[in-house]
Amino acid sequence: MIASIRTGLRSQKTAAVCSVILFVLFSIAILAPWISPHDPVEVNLALKLQSPTWDYPLGNDHLGRCNLSRLLHGAQVSLGFASLIFISSLLIGLLIGTFSGYKGGAIDLVLMRFCEGVMAFPTLVLVLGLVGLLGPGLPQVVLAMVMVQWVYYARMFRGMVLSLKERNFITAARISGSSHWTIIRRHIIPNVLPPIIVMGTLEIGWAIMDIAAMSFLGLGIQPPSPEWGSMIHEGKSYIRSNPELMLYPGIMILIVVITFNVLGEALSERFGVKRRY
Amino acid sequence: MSLLQVNNVTHSYGATNRFWRAGRQKTVLSDVSLSIEQGECLGLLGTSGAGKSTLGKVILGLEKPRKGQILFQGVDLYETNPSTRRRLRRDLQAVFQDCYSSVNPRMNAEQIIGEPLQNYERLSPNEHRRSISMLLESVGLSPEDRGKYPHQFSGGQLQRINIARAIALKPKLIVLDEAVSSLDMVNQTHVLHLLDELKTSFGLSYLFITHDVKAACSLSNSLVVMEKGEVIESCEDQSQLIASSHPTVKKLLESILSEHPRSRSIN
Repeated sequence: MIASIRTGLRSQKTAAVCSVILFVLFSIAILAPWISPHDPVEVNLALKLQSPTWDYPLGNDHLGRCNLSRLLHGAQVSLGFASLIFISSLLIGLLIGTFSGYKGGAIDLVLMRFCEGVMAFPTLVLVLGLVGLLGPGLPQVVLAMVMVQWVYYARMFRGMVLSLKERNFITAARISGSSHWTIIRRHIIPNVLPPIIVMGTLEIGWAIMDIAAMSFLGLGIQPPSPEWGSMIHEGKSYIRSNPELMLYPGIMILIVVITFNVLGEALSERFGVKRRY
Repeated sequence: MSLLQVNNVTHSYGATNRFWRAGRQKTVLSDVSLSIEQGECLGLLGTSGAGKSTLGKVILGLEKPRKGQILFQGVDLYETNPSTRRRLRRDLQAVFQDCYSSVNPRMNAEQIIGEPLQNYERLSPNEHRRSISMLLESVGLSPEDRGKYPHQFSGGQLQRINIARAIALKPKLIVLDEAVSSLDMVNQTHVLHLLDELKTSFGLSYLFITHDVKAACSLSNSLVVMEKGEVIESCEDQSQLIASSHPTVKKLLESILSEHPRSRSIN
């Protein structure tokens, strides 16, 4: 009893700390245009690879652009697009997974075999292939990632709907005269969405890493727009003389991904949900 | 005309195999016939796996039987147009064994009981509130419980909520699928009394599915015993059941625990 309260409190404390960090990060991302000291794409070769000064707190990169401003603007891209990927793939997965699980039969069979087919490939390979097909650029990367990610959500939603469908209250709702649409809306979605959103917080971390990976490969955001992955890419030529160019965005990715993962773990512990496909 | 008439219903579950189309069929109901009169309670007895609950589902209109017909108020439930079916279903409600899984954990008592009302009746918010209070009172709960969630109720209370939902539309027939089996003895007696009271005050009919001979006898007017999907005995009252010569019925009767175990061991 006491132990369960203690673990509950502890996991909630972790969740609270993570939420605060994420809140700060998201605020920074949203407020980037106002709080960054300089224009992130303004080139000034006179300040090339300059060490930190009062005017440029984190120094300048190889083109003399302000590192801090680029970092702040990069947060906008990373966090914003990761959330976009998360929300859109969750919604598509919810739609298709719930439909497939509730309907069952041949439709379910076809949809799930398709999902399994997609899941059989490594995610990154598929995304790379799709981006190669669609052409480089951030919107294409987001589209490709949503196209691959939704199957995982669909699979999870379908599994939960299947187990929920066998519960008596669904039968009771049918006897009470509720239509299928009402049952899905009032009984199924409120019961499947919360645990999957909790699990999804773990996925946002992956989405951020994937966006950064794509940008690092030069397939994501195109220069000169700042993004953490592309900043690491640009900084890698100066790893011996100026390692901080790679270090700053690397640390940011680290912080965000760890925070999302710890938050996800804490929340799933709190709500007793387990990862499953 | 009987309220409900089950005519030669046969039902089977197919072990559908996707690769070899013709899966083996398992017959769960074979040629079952019974009827329930208005205001009567029919006890459906049988051991686990006798097909009692399947019959309940078929009667409720949830599963179309392979053969036979279900006549509710003289209309075949599976052959009418959707609007008639919807109207008929209104008079056909159910209470299940597992009271916890019968309610959505994210809905409070008012929402649970109000669901059938919302689906069938156009009530103003005030009327809605009032009828929920009345329903809660008629099953022996207080109207203040309306805001409580399932995990805040005990098993007995939750089963009362389920009963309140079943009687919300003033139905004609309620299928009680092991409705008291998961409750402790005290609660069982309370709920059985409650069901008996509701039967007279609302003019209900019951199909009381159970494996508990005592509970069946206390509530039912007539009894039907099933085994392996077949009706093996149907009697008008308890004495006929006791007089039955069928071995399964005898076994069922023997399984009743004596109130005085010591005296039984002497015999």
